Amino acid sequence: MSVRPIAIAQAGSPLTDRPTARRLLELDWFLLLATVLLIAYGVVMGYSITVEDRTFTGDIGQQVLRSILYAVIGLSVMAIVAFVDHSWLGTFAPLFFLGTLALLAIVLVIGTSTLGATRWVTIAGFKFQPSEFAKVFMVIVLAKWFADRDVRSPFALLGALAILAAPVALVFKQPDLGTSLVFLGMFFGMAFVAGARLWHLATIVAVGIAASPILWTMLKDYQRARLTIFMDPYSDPQGAGWNIIQSLIAVGSGQMTGKGLTAGTQSPLGYLPIAESDFVFSGLAEDLGFVGALILFALYIVLLLSALRIAHRSRDAFGTYLAGGVAAMLIFQIVVNVGMAISLMPVTGIPLPFISQGGSSLISICFALGALQAISMRREVGPSTQT
Amino acid sequence: MDRADRPFVRSRRLGAIAFVIVGIFTVLSVRLWDLQVVNGARYRALAEQNRVLRVPVPPERGSIVDRNGLPLAQNQPGFAVSVIPFDLPRAREDEVASRLAVYLERDAAKVKAAIVTQRGTNPYEPVKLNDRPLPRDTALLLVERADLYPGVRVSSDAVRTYTSGPLYSPILGYVGPINDEELEARRDLGYYLQDTVGKTGIEWQYEQYLRGTYGWREVERDASLRELRTLALIPPKPGNEVVLTIDDRLQKLLNEELERGVIEDRFTQAVGIAMDPQTGQILAMVSIPAYDNNAFIGGVSTDQMRSWNADDRRPLVNKAIGDIYPPGSTFKLVTGLSALATGAATRSTVVNVTSNVLRVDGWPFFDWRVHGRLDFVNGFAHSSDIYFYTLGGGNPATGQRGAGPDALAKYGRMLGFGEPTGIDLPGEAGGIMPDPLWKLTRFNEPWTLGNTYHASIGQGFVAVTPLQLLNAYASVANGGTVYEPRLLKEVRAPDGTVVHTQEPVVARKLDVAPEHLRLIREAARRVVTIRHAYMPNAKLPIAGKTGTAEFGLSKGVDAAGKQKLGFHNWFVSFVPKEDNADPTAEMAMVIFTFDSSRSVCNTCYNPAVALTQKVLERYYFDDAQQASAP
Repeated sequence: MSVRPIAIAQAGSPLTDRPTARRLLELDWFLLLATVLLIAYGVVMGYSITVEDRTFTGDIGQQVLRSILYAVIGLSVMAIVAFVDHSWLGTFAPLFFLGTLALLAIVLVIGTSTLGATRWVTIAGFKFQPSEFAKVFMVIVLAKWFADRDVRSPFALLGALAILAAPVALVFKQPDLGTSLVFLGMFFGMAFVAGARLWHLATIVAVGIAASPILWTMLKDYQRARLTIFMDPYSDPQGAGWNIIQSLIAVGSGQMTGKGLTAGTQSPLGYLPIAESDFVFSGLAEDLGFVGALILFALYIVLLLSALRIAHRSRDAFGTYLAGGVAAMLIFQIVVNVGMAISLMPVTGIPLPFISQGGSSLISICFALGALQAISMRREVGPSTQT
Repeated sequence: MDRADRPFVRSRRLGAIAFVIVGIFTVLSVRLWDLQVVNGARYRALAEQNRVLRVPVPPERGSIVDRNGLPLAQNQPGFAVSVIPFDLPRAREDEVASRLAVYLERDAAKVKAAIVTQRGTNPYEPVKLNDRPLPRDTALLLVERADLYPGVRVSSDAVRTYTSGPLYSPILGYVGPINDEELEARRDLGYYLQDTVGKTGIEWQYEQYLRGTYGWREVERDASLRELRTLALIPPKPGNEVVLTIDDRLQKLLNEELERGVIEDRFTQAVGIAMDPQTGQILAMVSIPAYDNNAFIGGVSTDQMRSWNADDRRPLVNKAIGDIYPPGSTFKLVTGLSALATGAATRSTVVNVTSNVLRVDGWPFFDWRVHGRLDFVNGFAHSSDIYFYTLGGGNPATGQRGAGPDALAKYGRMLGFGEPTGIDLPGEAGGIMPDPLWKLTRFNEPWTLGNTYHASIGQGFVAVTPLQLLNAYASVANGGTVYEPRLLKEVRAPDGTVVHTQEPVVARKLDVAPEHLRLIREAARRVVTIRHAYMPNAKLPIAGKTGTAEFGLSKGVDAAGKQKLGFHNWFVSFVPKEDNADPTAEMAMVIFTFDSSRSVCNTCYNPAVALTQKVLERYYFDDAQQASAP
């Protein structure tokens, strides 16, 4: 009888793995650099769009201070989370799940309504949007779920869908179709990373397509119009297609190098609804042109590939799936938001990571990236790579 | 790093995702290249064209006319001043607001607040600043010195005007600026923040016909945002004309006579309604005192509103439908019909009224005099209370059977009491048609014979609106059809074509024998012929029923300084074509006088009777001849 020895590092408690100072060296510097630059990009765009907005009645300086404050809070949250062993996140996954449900339920009870949707909760004068945190929390919950199970079993997959059902329903009720879809995007991304059988995933997609006529009837008229109008915005240029056409004009008129910061005209003329969030990319492309958009894309690519590298190097399955899930969440949001602005995707207001103004989105993303750094710092560094 | 220790890392899948990410950004970049570099110049030009402003052009609200086309509510032309906040630099807001305020005769702070609010909601939409339309010379002045008033627009503006203020305000209601709740409810119907909407009365009821459809004006503007020219105009569609069933001549006659009664101190408040019993069309509806609905246009002053609300005569309520009163002896219609229908009485049922008080279990129930022997027709005609106590509740002493409270309630409800008639006006009260169950639920007390007696003569718990009473008698006059009264005759498009005709709406048919209705009509005619309702030199075969009700305070004075008497009179009538009580009447009328004088005598002087005769005779004879000879 031979007993395989257990590696000490695997058996170690999350509290006693390695000294902090050495871990710092294992920070993912590419990820950190991309994060800081994207946050700065967001602050600058927030300023530009606020100046352009003639409907804005507040103090512009204060608005900028506020976005800087969010950036500082975000970076602090990221630092704190990075120093905590990510295993703890897995340990507390059930709490994150309950917290998500509680946050989303609170919105429906005491939330503030804007434009017919109830998405915000005001606490101590700060408006915050629980569904933004819910996305990150559910990445943690799903990562833990997949890490503890054999994902090749259909029950593990269906279980994950069951876990997602309640938050998706609560968000859908707000109504926030976009965020509901992000949850589904996360699910498929993480299940794929976790090794789910492709034909299982394909079956779920097929069932979803078969059920879509039923889901379609659950949508409100305006949601249906938004989902289909992108295919031909000129079919209703004064109605549902108006926003998309104006967004295309904004993007296109930015040309190669843009009109310059604060010099855009589409947003002040009122042609870009919710210019600081849903249609923020249109404003960016108008002000900074093709070059500005490519710089943004480059930063996103660095960020996302860093996340995948962290997934690849993680010491444990939970870390891999968490990193994969964060990447899936971000890429899905980016594609949907940018795709909407350039009429490749339906209109579903979800924020563009880092660039859309709003503390909830930024801080929750920073939380997720802090967890990624934590995974990076605790990765297995084998003797061969340590020289 | 030992991959074998970590089977959870699926390198090929992570690689696939990296590949997808790069692919996605490639697609996005290619699309951006196409939009920004290949087609950029075209979109830049389109962005410039976006300096075209779309301005909503409000439609003219439809007018309201009487059945002969006489205007009751229309639009008076004038000029409006509005500001597009987007075009007004924030730095000049104070200065422009204070200068405008002088011309608009408004508080500068309020003008500024309106601009600031609009800037916060939609700065491209003009905000109207004037309460009342401006005269032409002021409008010209503002246009000539446009440099002093950036963002200020002067446009033609029609203001709602009501031809006769208080005469029609209970029917027409008024329009006013839309409030947040109304806007929320109607946003899908194309309402705007600065919109005007019907608030009550016909203006509210038929908003959908009156409103019309917004048009659009597209304006080209230069870089400094001055308007250069109008590029396109989709003209607004004016609202439709609402034709009422009201006959302005009868309305004025009725109002004139009731007003005179108030001036001559015969009563302090009054209601008069006239109806065509064959269709349920309302021919006239007067409620005194009323209010001047012109005061609501452009926003009513707080002082005015406070004084109306403090007035205990309730001028803002259309008392024809909105207040409930005990009907008194007019309610003997219900008692009589119930007794006939249940077989408790026939035409020849005799009650010998030998005393003016009926004692039951020691409780006295009074009549207004000792009538002697009465049959049904004479009991009704002389309005004997004891006769109808007996028909309603029976007499324990003689063993005579009455209809009973449940039958009273059944036939009362059949005649329309206890629920709104369904007239096409908001704010209608339902009244009270009590029965034992109602009393048990409401007061947790059992019903008594005394309750039946009181209900039998329209006192006690019974409460009706004047319109309900009229509608009940109208159904008797037309041979048994209860209509939902209607004020709408038809709706006409601006070019005069009729787009909607209001057909009579039958609420229900009375489930009673035709001869019983005929008996009531005969008895109602007898009320006049025996001079219980005294109509000297009558020219019309008017039939009807008097009523006297005592309720409310009989001490103190009302808001107008008139003595409160707590003593009120009814006369509800109809005019058969021949004096044979056929169900062919084309006119039914109710007059209710509040706080009637008792100076002459308690019983013989009912001002509503004389008023009815005078109004109907003037309508059918004197004034008709004048009207036909212009």
